[in-house]
Amino acid sequence: MNDPRMFNTEAYFRYYNPVLTNEAYFRYWRACAAMGPVFLAAFLLCWGMLGYNIPPIPADWTADQMAAHFRTHYNEIRAGMGGAMLFGCLYLPWTLAIYKVMQLINRNENDIVSTLQMWGGALTVVPLVTSSVFWLTGAYRPEELEPKTLQMLYDQGWLLIDMFYFITTIPMVAIGMAGLTDKREKPLFPRWACWYSIWAGLSFLFELLMPFFKTGLFARQGWLNFWVEFVVWFAYILVITYFTMKAIPRLEKERAELLDRA
Amino acid sequence: MATGSDAPSIGASREQGNPVSGILTFIIADLIVFAMLFTGFMVDRSHELAVFNRSANALDFHLGLANLLILVTSGLCVVFAVSAAREGRMTAIRNWILVAFVIGAGFGVSKFVEWGDKFAHDIGMHTNAFYMYYFALTGAHFLHFLGGMGALAFIWFYSLRHAGAPDFRGKIEAVGLYWHMVDLLWVLIFPLLYVLGHQWPACP
Repeated sequence: MNDPRMFNTEAYFRYYNPVLTNEAYFRYWRACAAMGPVFLAAFLLCWGMLGYNIPPIPADWTADQMAAHFRTHYNEIRAGMGGAMLFGCLYLPWTLAIYKVMQLINRNENDIVSTLQMWGGALTVVPLVTSSVFWLTGAYRPEELEPKTLQMLYDQGWLLIDMFYFITTIPMVAIGMAGLTDKREKPLFPRWACWYSIWAGLSFLFELLMPFFKTGLFARQGWLNFWVEFVVWFAYILVITYFTMKAIPRLEKERAELLDRA
Repeated sequence: MATGSDAPSIGASREQGNPVSGILTFIIADLIVFAMLFTGFMVDRSHELAVFNRSANALDFHLGLANLLILVTSGLCVVFAVSAAREGRMTAIRNWILVAFVIGAGFGVSKFVEWGDKFAHDIGMHTNAFYMYYFALTGAHFLHFLGGMGALAFIWFYSLRHAGAPDFRGKIEAVGLYWHMVDLLWVLIFPLLYVLGHQWPACP
């Protein structure tokens, strides 16, 4: 008990809990972290390919063109959006794994940044799932709905998923901030990954321009606001998953040494 | 060439062996996106050359040049501040950062004057493709400028208590690198928007 880190009671109960073996303490962490790439692959398949969102239907399409799209592809869209709503929820366990690692970056500091990450990441599920409902609604009765209504539903889905970006920016910046304060000789999240996470989150600010354009780079199908921003987000998921996975065995080793010393 | 403890650190990172770490990642990623925007501008310009040139000619070249001089001068002051930090001159650090901040603030004022004039003439992002890029590039740059001003303010206040801390030099170098990126972006935006399509008066 000579370790000064043990004097913080919150850290004591959260981290040093001799009732739990290391195996029990870290159980499910890797499974949760692995949900990030699973989410990504499934979301690309369901939301992107089956749902015809990669690339998005251009914002300058007429209502009749949009209606023809829904009336032709309604079954793929139903399946795709059903899958998107299912797998979109995997963003939650992935966020939880990052939260658990972030709590142990600096054990004696308060956990407000990691909690912020948890809430922001968990709430990211909301735009993912809710926007899928709008597209699913369009595909549910495409023959009975007016073309303008179908157009509105498709627009609303994209406006929600794009314009609710800041709820995803919050956890991205939080991860970067927490990682940069890591006092280890070799930080759990390398500084480049932290800065990438912060930059990627802030780069979503270009989405502010999305509602003002139906064509060009800032439109929902534009090369900047779709291709660049979504690739940046997908890359962020892979980068953070990789370093979360790498952090877990290091934390296991640190905790085992701590238990041995105590 | 500097050696040993006097050698300049790379990217203000603790991981000195890795040149692409720390704030440099942020800067490089940012520059890549801006490079894509510049490329987009040039491609679209090639399709609507007359519109782009006519619009560029309506911009205030002298204001753009003044912005360039403001940012470069402010950047030079940050260089002096970083240099003072390396030599341990605490008062000089704060003075140079303060001068950099005050000069830099002039950029913000001139941007409001310039945008105000455009809005007064009913010119906006939808006027034409040139103005879409004009407002997007200057707007995105302005957000970076605000971030830089915040970073200068942060390092000034931070220096009051922590100027002697071991990590101070890394922090002020990171702020300096970021502020130079803001300079660099304007050095690229200025010729692209203000100079490229400018109709120079005929020589007498």
